[in-house]
Formats: sequence, structure tokens, C-alpha cells
Amino acid sequence: MEKVKKKIGSFSFWNWVTASIIFRLILIYFPKNLNLSSRPEVSTPLTSFRRLAEGYWLKQSFMSPYAGSMYHGSPLLLSLLGPLTINRIEGQPNHLLYSLVSVIADVVSAMLIRATGQNLRLAYLRSLESLDLVKQIEVSEFLFSGDIAALIYLCNPFTIVACVGLSTSPIENMAVILCLYGACSRLIPLAAFGWVIATHLSLYPAILIIPVIFLLGCGPDSPPRKLFLQRHQQKEVLNQSKLPPRFSWGPVIHFAFWAFLWSVYVLVLCGISLKQFGGLWEMFKSTYGFILTVEDLSPNIGVLWYFFAEVFEFFRNFFLIVFHVNILFMILPLAIRLRHRPCYLAFVYVAICSMLKSYPSVGDSALYLGLLGWFVNELADMQFSLFLFCGYVGVSLLSPVMHNLWIWRGTGNANFYFATAMVYACLQIVLVVEGVSAMLNHDRKLRNLITGKPQDAKS
Amino acid sequence: MAETKEKSLSDEKPKPRVRPIVRLGIFLISHSFLVSVVCCTAGVLALFLLPVLAKNTYISENALMPGSASPMLSNQHVSDGNRLVKDLTNPNSKSSETGIESHKIIAQYMLDLGAEVSFHKFHPQMNQFHPLHFFSSPVSGKIQENYSCSSYGINTVGIIRAPRGDGKEAIVLVTPYNALKSGFGEALSLGIAYSVFSLLTQVTWLAKDIIWLVADSQYGEYAAVAAWLREYQSPKFSSLSTPNAEMCPDVNNLFELKGHSISGSKFSNSFRRAGTMAAALVLKVRDQNEQFEDTISIYAEASNGQMPNLDLINVVNYLAVHRQGLRVNVEKLWPLLNSSWLKSLGEIFESLAKVAKSLYPKWKFGIPATEYVEGTATLASSLYYQALGVPTGPHGAFRDYQVDAITLEISPKFSLDKVWRNDILLRGGRLIEGVIRSVNNLLEKFHQSFFLYLLTSPSKFVSVGVYMIAFALLIAPLPMVAASLYVDANSSSNYSKGDSSTPSAITDTDEHGIAIRSWRWLNSAKLVFIVHLWGAIVSLLPYFISQIPDCSPTTSFMIWVLLSILSLLTSNSVLASPLACAKATQEKEWALVKSVTISSVFIGLGLMSVINFATAEIGALLMVPMCLLARPLKLDVRAGTLRSFCRLICNLVLGHIAFPPAAFFLLKGMLDGFGNANVGDFWMWVESLWAWNSATYLFIGMVQLPCWVLCVSILFHTC
Repeated sequence: MEKVKKKIGSFSFWNWVTASIIFRLILIYFPKNLNLSSRPEVSTPLTSFRRLAEGYWLKQSFMSPYAGSMYHGSPLLLSLLGPLTINRIEGQPNHLLYSLVSVIADVVSAMLIRATGQNLRLAYLRSLESLDLVKQIEVSEFLFSGDIAALIYLCNPFTIVACVGLSTSPIENMAVILCLYGACSRLIPLAAFGWVIATHLSLYPAILIIPVIFLLGCGPDSPPRKLFLQRHQQKEVLNQSKLPPRFSWGPVIHFAFWAFLWSVYVLVLCGISLKQFGGLWEMFKSTYGFILTVEDLSPNIGVLWYFFAEVFEFFRNFFLIVFHVNILFMILPLAIRLRHRPCYLAFVYVAICSMLKSYPSVGDSALYLGLLGWFVNELADMQFSLFLFCGYVGVSLLSPVMHNLWIWRGTGNANFYFATAMVYACLQIVLVVEGVSAMLNHDRKLRNLITGKPQDAKS
Repeated sequence: MAETKEKSLSDEKPKPRVRPIVRLGIFLISHSFLVSVVCCTAGVLALFLLPVLAKNTYISENALMPGSASPMLSNQHVSDGNRLVKDLTNPNSKSSETGIESHKIIAQYMLDLGAEVSFHKFHPQMNQFHPLHFFSSPVSGKIQENYSCSSYGINTVGIIRAPRGDGKEAIVLVTPYNALKSGFGEALSLGIAYSVFSLLTQVTWLAKDIIWLVADSQYGEYAAVAAWLREYQSPKFSSLSTPNAEMCPDVNNLFELKGHSISGSKFSNSFRRAGTMAAALVLKVRDQNEQFEDTISIYAEASNGQMPNLDLINVVNYLAVHRQGLRVNVEKLWPLLNSSWLKSLGEIFESLAKVAKSLYPKWKFGIPATEYVEGTATLASSLYYQALGVPTGPHGAFRDYQVDAITLEISPKFSLDKVWRNDILLRGGRLIEGVIRSVNNLLEKFHQSFFLYLLTSPSKFVSVGVYMIAFALLIAPLPMVAASLYVDANSSSNYSKGDSSTPSAITDTDEHGIAIRSWRWLNSAKLVFIVHLWGAIVSLLPYFISQIPDCSPTTSFMIWVLLSILSLLTSNSVLASPLACAKATQEKEWALVKSVTISSVFIGLGLMSVINFATAEIGALLMVPMCLLARPLKLDVRAGTLRSFCRLICNLVLGHIAFPPAAFFLLKGMLDGFGNANVGDFWMWVESLWAWNSATYLFIGMVQLPCWVLCVSILFHTC
């Protein structure tokens, strides 16, 4: 690890960033050979580039972009990215402009992750200082988690594939990261904007409002407030300035105001662009409705398509509710347990959503794996890291093979492909469970350091 | 997993309650040596048991109903077929330079039967290097090359429309035919096909269209069939700029000429299609014969070890054996038939079965020793051809489009006798008729029976559920050993050596130690990743080497080896010198490297077992022992015990054997004798692999070679 850190220190962050950009550009020049944009792992009905182009074409010919159940994204994306689907430069690969936009989105996301990571690291150091643990925990050994997270995001094959595969997930991810960045650096309008856009584009980031409220209310991640109180009781001096701030409602109300403003703005824009085509109701029905009712059962790396292909029609509504409530059930307990670490909470939420959402793609995994990089210091003794790593590598290789076996060779069947989807879901569960328990263990360790108890070997 | 060790050590803690599954895991990991020895032995043993465990084939799809109708092929049809054979073997028809005359004769015969006839002109496609072809659809990425008008082939296609069908399905009958130098066998196969074809124009039960493809085999049988299939499945709407066969004036002349000479309204110059293909039969008659009875050989292996549905083989086997009295055989690995050790193994199994039967009469699993040897030889060849990933005949082209196809090769016993010729025409024709009639009954695609199987005789098979057990046992030790090495390497770094029984509680200053602990494998992972990257580069090098003109195989191979070594050294020095940095950090570093290597091998083998089982099985036989035994030689030399000495010897032997070229030459030497081994052979073999888009090539380049390099680097680790 020390080596890694030195490497990142000396090797310079920017070399790696340049290398990853160049790698993307090289891949963009071979779109035909890779054919990534037609892979089910990359392009779901929501993120597919082909559907975006179709929606744009429909709109250009004065039809509703949602006609024929082809396009299910936002009308704003149509206006912003639509023209790029038909603009070509002579002698260049077809979707060069659009690919470049994705690359830029990725780089911007990485920069925002880096800035947020630096913020988080500073906050962590500050809280350690106020707990007087700086000597016990060698702060000099701390890794620059921002740099690492940004590099994980940029060099992750999932991100690269989602970017080169012309899906819209780089843009959705950028909105989510923008929201977290804004909340961490207390740029409330920016946070509200990111949250509104992310929710507008893919609905699931709506639950990020809880971590954002915590972030705005009591600041970025820190050890539990209890620890500070204990520390100061030991010292018998109650230094208010060293305590983390109490929950303050001011920024939250500020955020709510801005969120309201932005959402009205977005809705008005959407309303204008869909004026002739059924208006906002049509939009809600074919974006949010499409997400929630799981209409498209074409295979993807999630688990819902298989289930809803099998389920009887009259149970369908019941199970739709069950599956979506699944996400909602986890919100509250996690929010209570991890309320002192809002960014980590956001990571857990994003991971859970990408596991249980109706049309997941590798772009979602890219997002939470990048966010995981923020917590390298806290999660240093996470278990099963090698197992998880090998699992991710294995599944991402096995999934295309199984798809090939099923679709092209005909010797396999849907169960083959679904098996990899289940393994993938299990891996994500293990990652979330191990991640959360490692984080709680970290808090426990800090508590033990403060109270002077011997280290609990049970980790 | 690091936790487990700690847990077992910290007994005084109030919560030693470990979940049973974790306890089982700890148990397996702590006894990984024993477990791996047991598993590997069981895996190899299970492989040799497969011929005993083979089941009899049965016809799974009820709709097929083979042999339920009596054959309708009469002597009339046979004499029709004979007439065609005579016309084709007539020296007058061979006068033409291009052999166009024979094609005209065939077309005329087809037209006389009332079939739709068309010619398909094609250019033989050069073998290209596209190693990732496996992942894409068969039609994508075919780029037209510059064709010369001098080399083209002509397939003659006749189509009978089914009176009862809706034209949505078809059965294909393929007879390869080289008009320029056709043997008598080829003419005879055309005769058989023609007699069946003439029958099928009259029958009323036909529900699927019949396509008879006379494939021009002057550029190879496979190329002709593949070209026709490509045209059939993916019509080209190409722009005018790409040159194709129609633009050659020479060809056009020939076809105009034909248009005049052939009478019949059903002849067309355009490409004719029928429905989707339900099945395809490739029919061949062998010229020379060394058999004592009429035999029919079945070839089924398509590219990447894909097999047609077992039902198709079953139908052919059933009809040939029970209706036409032909002997059916599948390919065997002949050298194995005479091996004495296999015979004695078979005898052991036989006697074991006898003992078991005497203990409990219901245990009946033994087979006679001779049958065992034959079964093993067939199984070995089945594994070999599947592992090679190169199709064994023109039927391979069909499998790329998910059409079940097999090649039937009839080897008759007599020669050039009128009575015999009629007899073989009649029996061959009736066999084909029966198969077509069965397939005609199908309501859906073949799907009932197995696609993943190995044959041990024409009527016995080992299904995927059985042979996977052998493979799973073989690779089961890999994750266990990886976990145990990982745990060892981690725990040894946490606790100072010697007093591992008293875990020094992780003190506050040990924070950094903790930080290292869980992610320390990253360094080893980097090394493994770089070596695999190097493997990818090595697998791409032949593409560039093959561009060099006039290069003999030996020189090409030498260039390849040199470039590979050069690129290994470069990547070693440029990318942070992984091998050196592995040495530097810790003494247990090699254990972590080994752990990650084993994990990567496990992933690779698991992947390959899904793509092409046979390759994975053979690869596992080579790589698993090497991976499990790898240990720095220095440590073994230092230890100086008998056990370490044995391990040293094993390591050295395996290190030599598992190197892909060495393994190739060893195998080749065992099969053909060591006398005529040549360095260039390996290059030719590899070339054939990538020309046929075999996934085995990728496996060797990106799994086996990196694994070998990593194991060797562990062997020479300085610790």
C-alpha cells in the first residue's frame, strides 16, 4: 500500500489521467470492432445511444419522442445530446462528437470526485485532530483518497466501457457526483441542481436526498458524535469549538428551496419541449413509469428481467411493489446507523440501487466503485478484498461469454446468463455488507483507542 | 479471511461461536494440502472413469420417430442416381477446363426433376486473423478483399419446395464435389444425393423444403459451404465499388452461355433461398477402402468444440445400424487402442465391477476391458478434436449459424462392382431418406437432447453433468489453496515469527500494519496483470509476423519467440519492474503472488470450461499440478528433506512440460513419434488455430502462457 501511495504521489496523478483519456480515445476509433454499444451490459433501454438517436429522429419528424416505446430518457437529453447523434465529421468515426462528450463527462466526474475526496480527507484529519488521535494513527501514512478515487473512477474498465459504449450513464453519473460535490463543499444551489438532474435522469438518485441533508446539516463524514463527547468527558473540559456542529436546519431549508426552484425550472423546460406531444404526463409515464413497471424484459445484468419474465401476470403488481419497497426498506436503518458518515451512506445507497434497479448497467457499478475510493483509509482492513476483486473480474468476463453461448451459439439458455447476473448481485451484496461492517469496525476501533480498551481482535 | 485465523487463535474471547459454514471453510483451508491431493487424484480418476459412466444414447425428441415409416427409395431412383454417376464419370464431361460442364450436367438433372436451380459464385475467403471473432456474431466484420477474377468457385443449388410446407423451414443436403479432379467417391455421393432428391420431388409428406447444395470443393469443402451460408444468411447490399464475382467478364460469359444451354423455366441466375435450416447433412463417399464391411463415419465437431444436437447423431446411428445394417464409427485416437496400460486399467475396472456386483447384484456399472479401451480412445479423440476447436468437416460452417449439421462419410467395402454400387446407392439413399424424413417431422428446432457431450462410441455419450464433475474436482483445490496461501501470507506478516500462538494484540502503532494487511495483494495483482497483458501482446504478435512475406514457419516461430522475450523484458523494465519489486518487499511475497496467480488461473479455466470444455480439461491437467506445486526452488534446496526434494523434481519436470510449445511437441511425439518433429510445426499448428478462430489460441496465449511465466518466476524467486 505504501508503494501504491508513493507511486501515486511521485508518478503523478495527471499521467494516469492522460493515459486513461488517451486509452478512451483509442477505443473510440474502433467502434465497429468492439460493438460495445449493443452489449446488454452497457446499454439498457434507459441508457442506450441507439434509442436516444431514435427519439431525436422522432422528435425531428414532429412525433412524440416516446412513440413506439423506443426512447425512455429525458426530453432535455434529447435537446442537448440529440443533435450530436446525427452530426458527423467527414472521415471520422460516426459518433465521435457524442463520444467526446462522454469522455469530457468522465473527466469532469473524476475531477469532482477528486475534489470531494480531498474535502473528505481534510474533514477526517480534522476530526482525528479534535479527538487527539493524530499521534496514535499515523496520519502521514494516510493516502490521498481523492486521487485514488478519481483514478479508480477513470481507470475502471466499467467506466471505460460505459464511456466508449456510447451509453448515457457517464452523464447520469456526473449528475450524481455533482450533487455530492456540491453538498460536500456546501455549494447548496449546485447540490440541488445535481440532485434534481440526477433524479430527473434516472429516478433512483432521489434517495440521495437523505445523505445530502445529513451532509448539509452536520458536515462531511466524521466519527460518531458520541466519541467526541466521550473524549471531552475524559479530559473534563468541554471545548465546544472542537465538537462537530449540531444538526442545523438552515442549509437544509436553503437546499429545499433551491431544489424546488430547479425542479420547477426543469419541469417547465420539459413541458415546453413536449408541448405538442402529450406534455409532462406523457413524460412521467414513459420515463418513471417505464422504470417502475419494468416493461422491458430484455436481458441485462440485473435480476429483475428474469423474474418478471417468469412471474404470472396477476402477481406482477404485487411483486413490483415488493421489489421497489426493497430499496425503501433499507433506507431508514442505514440512515440511522451511518448518519455520521453521509458520504459513505451515499455510497451504500448508490450500490444498493445499482443492485436492485430495474435496468442496471456497468455504468452504475463504475459510479459506486469510484465512490468506494474515497474511503480507502477507513476501509483499509476490509475483508474479502481479493475475493471481491476476483469475483468482479470473473463475472465481467463470464457475462459476455454466457451471453454468447445463449444468443449466438444456442448451446446455452437464459439460465446461463441469469446465473452470472445472480453471482454479480451476490458480489455486490458482499461488497456492501463487508464495506459497511468494515466502516463500523473502524468506528469501533476509534472508540477503543479513545477509551483505551485493548484492541478487540474481533474485526 | 484474515479474520478466520485470528478467530481460531483468540480462544479467550467471549464469542468464539463461528458459523458452521465459516468453520467448514477454515477446516478446508487448514487442510488444503490433503484436500488438494485428494481432489486432484479424484479428478484424474473421474476422467478415466468417464467411459464406464457413459450412458446409452436414446432419442429424446418424440417427434423424430426414426424408422417408423418404411423407406420409399426404390430401384428406380437408384438407377436414376446411377445415370448421373455415369454421366459425371464419363470422360467427355471432363473436357472443360473449369469443370463447368459437370456443373451444367448436375443442374440439368436437377431441373429435370422440377427443382429450382441456381448457381452461386464465390471467392474463397482467405483465412484472416481475428482472434476475437468468437465473441461477435458470425457475419459481422467481414470485409471484402480485393478479389481476382481468376479464382472463383461455383456451387450448384437445387431446391424442392415442400408441397405441405409454408416454405419457412428447410433441410440441407450437402455433397462436396470437385469438378476438376473428382474421384469416383464424389460422383457416387452425388449419385446417392440425386437418388434421394429424385424421390423427394415425388413424395407428398414433405413439410420442409429440401436444399441440395453441390459445393465446389476445389478451394476446400469448408470454404465453399461457408461462402454459400454467408450469402444465404446475410445478404449483401454492398455498394458497387466492391468487386464481386458477377463483375468479372469471364464469369459473366460463362453464365450467359449457361442460360442458353440450360432449358427450363426454373433456372435463375439470382441467389435462391428457402426457409430457416432445421438440419444439414454433409454426405461423402470415401474412395479407398480398408474396411471389411460397409461403415459410415460420423464427424460432428464444429468450431470451438461445439457439437450438433445429440438427437441428430442418434437418428443417424439408429437408422444406419438398425435399418440399413451399416457399421457406424466415430473417430478414435488409434495409438491408444494398443496401449497396454489402458488395457490393464480397463481390466482393473472390470474386476472391480465384478466384485461390486457380487456384493450387491444391482450394481451393474462395469464394462468389458476391450470396450473400455475403445471407449477411451473415442473419448480421447472426442476431447482432442473439441479442444483443437477446428471443425472436422464442412458441417462446421453450419454450426456458426446455429444449424445442427454432421458429416456422414460412407466407406464401402468393395470396389467398382455394378451390384455393389447399386447396393450402396440404395442403402446410403435410404439412410439419408430416413434421416430427412425424421427431421421433416420436427415441429421445433432441435432442442430436446444435449448440445454439450462427449462421445465414447456412436451409441454412448457422456453428458455435461458427468464430465463437469471430473473437471470440477480437478480445479476445486485452486480456490482453497489460494485462500490458504493468502491467509498464511497475511497472518505471518501480522505476527512476529515464532510466537504465532500468542497473537500480540494489534497495538495502536500497528495502524499502518493493518492498512497494509487487507490490500497487500494489490502488488501481486499488478504483477499478475502485467504478465497477462504481456500474454495478450504475445497472442497478437503472430498477426504482424504473418504479414512478413516469404517467411518459413521456423523463422516465423523464431521471430515470435524473440519478440515475446523482448516484450517481456521491456514490460518488466518499463512497467515498474514487477518481478524485481515482487522480490524486494517481503519474504512471503511469493505466497501472495502464487495466491493471485492461482485465482487468475481458476478464473481462466472456469471461463474456458464454458467456452470449450475440452480445452479447459486438457489445460487443467497441465496447469493445476504446476500451479499447486510451485514454490521457490531455493526454499526446497535449503530444506533438504525428501519431501522437498520430490517437490523440486516435480516442479522442474512440470515447469518443462507445461510450457505450451513443449507440451505440443510432447503430445505430437507421443502420437506420431519423435522422429520428424520440427520447430516450425508449432507455428503451423498455431496458425491453423487462429485461422479457424479457435478460442484455444486465446486460451494458450492469455491463460496458459502467463500462468507458466508466473509459476517459473515463483520457482526462481529469491527469498
